[in-house]
Amino acid sequence: MPTFKLDGQDIPFEEGDTIIRAAYRAGIEIPHYCWHPGLSIAANCRMCLVEIKSGRQMALPVLKWDEKKKEYVEATKPKLQPACQIPASEGMEVAAQSDVALKAQESTQEFLLLNHPVDCPICDQAGECKLQDYWLTSQKKLKRKHTEPVHKPKGVRFGPTIVYDAERCIMCTRCIRFCDEVAGDHVLDMRERGNTNEIVLSPGRELDNDYTLMTEHVCPVGALTSRDFRFKARVWFLKSSPGVCNGCATGCNSWVDHDPRYQRVYRLRPRDNEAVNAYWMCDDGMMTYHGFHEDRILTGRVRAGGRVNEAPRELAVQAAAKVLEKVEKGKLAVVLSAVHASEDNYVLHKLAKEHFGTDHVYLTARPDWKGDDILRHRDHNPNRAGALAVAGGKAKSMEDLVKDVESGVVTAVLSLGPSTTLNEAELAPLANLEGVGGAAHVNLTSNAGALTSAASVVVPVACDAEMSGTFVNAKGIAQQFKKAIRAPGGIKTAWETLIEIGAHLGWTVDIARLNDVRRDMPAKLPSAAGASSAPAAPAS
Amino acid sequence: MEPYYEDLEDEGSLELPSEPMRLNMGPSHPAMHGTIRMVLDLDGETVMNVDIQPGYLHRGFEKSCERGTWSQVFPYADRLNYVSPMLNNVGFALAVEKLIGLEVPERCTYYRTVLGELARICDHLTCNGATAMELGAFTPFLWLVKVRDWIWDILEQETGARLTHSFGRIGGMAKPPTEQLADTVLAIFPEVEHAMLESEKLLMKNRIFLDRTQNVGKLSQERAIAMGCTGVVLRSTGVDYDVRKANPYMFYDRFDFDVPVGHDGDNYDRFVCRFEELRQSIKIIRQALEQMPTSGPVNSPDVRYVFPEKEDVYNSIEGTIAHFKLVMEGLKPPKGEVYSFTEGGNGELGFFIVSDGSGTPYRVRCRPPCWYNLAACKEMLTGDMIADIIPTFGSINMIGGECDR
Repeated sequence: MPTFKLDGQDIPFEEGDTIIRAAYRAGIEIPHYCWHPGLSIAANCRMCLVEIKSGRQMALPVLKWDEKKKEYVEATKPKLQPACQIPASEGMEVAAQSDVALKAQESTQEFLLLNHPVDCPICDQAGECKLQDYWLTSQKKLKRKHTEPVHKPKGVRFGPTIVYDAERCIMCTRCIRFCDEVAGDHVLDMRERGNTNEIVLSPGRELDNDYTLMTEHVCPVGALTSRDFRFKARVWFLKSSPGVCNGCATGCNSWVDHDPRYQRVYRLRPRDNEAVNAYWMCDDGMMTYHGFHEDRILTGRVRAGGRVNEAPRELAVQAAAKVLEKVEKGKLAVVLSAVHASEDNYVLHKLAKEHFGTDHVYLTARPDWKGDDILRHRDHNPNRAGALAVAGGKAKSMEDLVKDVESGVVTAVLSLGPSTTLNEAELAPLANLEGVGGAAHVNLTSNAGALTSAASVVVPVACDAEMSGTFVNAKGIAQQFKKAIRAPGGIKTAWETLIEIGAHLGWTVDIARLNDVRRDMPAKLPSAAGASSAPAAPAS
Repeated sequence: MEPYYEDLEDEGSLELPSEPMRLNMGPSHPAMHGTIRMVLDLDGETVMNVDIQPGYLHRGFEKSCERGTWSQVFPYADRLNYVSPMLNNVGFALAVEKLIGLEVPERCTYYRTVLGELARICDHLTCNGATAMELGAFTPFLWLVKVRDWIWDILEQETGARLTHSFGRIGGMAKPPTEQLADTVLAIFPEVEHAMLESEKLLMKNRIFLDRTQNVGKLSQERAIAMGCTGVVLRSTGVDYDVRKANPYMFYDRFDFDVPVGHDGDNYDRFVCRFEELRQSIKIIRQALEQMPTSGPVNSPDVRYVFPEKEDVYNSIEGTIAHFKLVMEGLKPPKGEVYSFTEGGNGELGFFIVSDGSGTPYRVRCRPPCWYNLAACKEMLTGDMIADIIPTFGSINMIGGECDR
């Protein structure tokens, strides 16, 4: 691989790489605002100016103050080049830390802060703001300008999700380029020039495509803020753990930003993965974290005499065991879930095979949603491939289940997850199972849904943020996600709960930890071994 | 030293134990500061062996420093030698400034000298007063602690706190000196000198005091050096090692002062050395107050390390960012490690600090002078009488907060 020298260090690069991209791959950050690895090159922020020492050096004539002569004398200084735009070439010598380059970074940073409002205390970006970071690394000085800054519109509603503050904006155009190049929706543009520059919407439009939150994500400063996250949390209190979006079969990699003090998730951020989602996520995916806290099932539910009673989790587990005790061999329907992790589905399937000896395996899933050519997959489920793999490649549908229940092929149902394509009326036979031979429908779920309403016993289980697991996306890539927060009130993961129920039924299995599940899963199942690699460098 | 019971031998009926008696002293013994346990092997009243067990005041100072910011170490440093907290504050600030390469304005250095030497005066007044009290002379203790209290008033006037000032800052001090600093300090000196003189009058010709201190708790020069003793404990044996002279930091090379030394290394020498050092501290403060600029900044102007003025914080984004970065992430010294040492209340107070370039210390190691002096205490006590333990232990000025950290 060819290399060039950056501040004396050899940096390998691929054909066509710019200096900044090669350095980024090597884990070295050249200060920048407008450059983003996933967007085109604008080279307008001038923060990444570097000195190129090899080849024919360009020099600019300047006047320099001569202390001895007490006058300005003619001198030259090297012409700096934007590292984001200059392609790397073999043997090139680049200095990003030379005096001239550092001076340029300092000046650029001072220029960008010239009219910046004193907003850090009320700005959501504070703590992860490039202006703050580069002030410390590049500028380090107090303000020299003491006139009133230029004022521009603040708190402009760009759409249902995004608010724009023109005073904080440094005109890097990342948001414009994102909409143009990735979302394919030319909804943002820039107007005016100089210090009256601002980002505007296309006339008659709102920023309302499916990727609006990414404009906030690419914004290096606090100009664009997400209405969902605004004023909710301070980023320095948040910890990130690697997650996988449960919105669709693409399986975008995410950072689950949570506050460990409150055990609460406050937002998702895309986690760079060139093989899956590059640097992006869609709006609906970004909002899936609401499901970790909203519409949760936190206590057990046991139906008795036509009434649904709330019950402590332990009682619900016992009730579930009692119901399942009565099932005749081979008469149990097991419903795998396309929204649950492979581990959950595997243990459920194992319990069905080993203890109940049943072949009636069904798969429940959310109905399809709107897909697109960017990230959104038509399949609204994160783990259909993983659940099907557990079932040996084929599982019957929910319609089949309703038919089988009605015809009496199965007398009891053990289901996972809340979602299904059927509505409550269609699920009525499941809800009415109770009368048939005393067996019934047991549902393990983290959130409320149609399937939950049609259950005789509901046992609460952990949601994705509360467990480590694996999703297999539509491309067949198995991706692991890690537990971010604790499940409330002693709730356990679905696979742990299943083992607990199994223990009441006399099913013994040598599984105690997550690794035991993963070790137990047949090698051909996408599990620990095939899971996605460690996260790439943090997004810029 | 086996006792010989000649008279009783004939009687045959009475058998006295000939093996040493084991006695626990402390940690709840008042003379042990509540923080030291001594296991004594006694033969009659003679100390045959002593096992000194510190650690009852261990608070995890060094580990605690690794979870906050660099500035948040100051309150912990206060509680090292809590009899002279300002010296610890200055010592730690100097260490971090050495790592950064940060220069503080002259005014700040003089200010630190004045406050630091005031703290040293408090330290020695307390120690000598307590030593006298432990020998039954209560009056000097009251006199000396009375003037110490007046010095605390000055420290309160300057810092807002009497004991735990947390006044040091990296790159400066929390506040500039008050206008009345010089006046109040100079006004207190005659009182301090008077109290010292009166106490000396009571003690220095007092048979009991002399008998109980001279040739008691002796430490040889060789052993003191071998054990790593510093401060008064070392100087009382005749070694003129004072960090202020041997490795002048701040402006100690600009001042005219002497390093008093003893020659026997006993309790008496340590007592006299302390009083003499006290007079030298007064001499230093007088010179420092004279040389100190009356106006000008106290803090370094480098806003990467020192808080900008509130006016800048509220009115400019650069000031806000500087403030934000310092509060939320803490100042970030460059990667590296440094050992910085100063003359603390009872010896060489050293800070070995390691930075990984982040806002949190990677390692803060404190060299507590007490620790080494306490180690030497065993040799001082062995062979002396049990009643000598208390004045000897008092005269090494072991401060639990610093020794146990």
